Amino acid sequence: MEESEQVPAVTVKEPLDLVRLSLDEKIYVKMRNERELKGRLHAYDQHLNMVLGDAEEIVTTIEIDEETYEEVYKKTKRNIPMLFVRGDGVILVSPPIRAGV
Amino acid sequence: MSNRKEPLSQFIQQIHGRPVVVKLNSGVDYRGVLACLDGYMNIALEQTEEYVNGQLKEKYGDAFLRGNNVLYISAQKRRYN
Repeated sequence: MEESEQVPAVTVKEPLDLVRLSLDEKIYVKMRNERELKGRLHAYDQHLNMVLGDAEEIVTTIEIDEETYEEVYKKTKRNIPMLFVRGDGVILVSPPIRAGV
Repeated sequence: MSNRKEPLSQFIQQIHGRPVVVKLNSGVDYRGVLACLDGYMNIALEQTEEYVNGQLKEKYGDAFLRGNNVLYISAQKRRYN
């Protein structure tokens, strides 16, 4: 069965279109090993290898308080002017919250 | 042979635009409306909610999930909360 092709102006036909529409925008990337990245998406490929500019990396570690044995989540941040991200570590990519909120 | 594939492609067609739960290998659940998916099981979700240990942790307007992390996609009849 052949479906007639509809062509809306801006469309998400395949998941990677969501990433394509985020080019040159600030995106949020959730990575393996409790790492998060925020940065401007300069380039990407089908593996989700990405080049991020003005990137901020947030690493979450769990430390155990020696007295109370409570788990303390500790976030360490650092800024990287230009970052190449290998795609296999990527879990989730979220485009920026649209302007005008 | 194509008969065997039919239920799969039917399921995939049926869940487009429907609320789904996507579970990742890490155990994290994503609830949202399925925008599309591809052969790698990369998934685009809308109105995404991230549940860690059953607790709502984060919301994303749109979210791209990389297919290698996906454990399953489950179609929801109705959205809770």
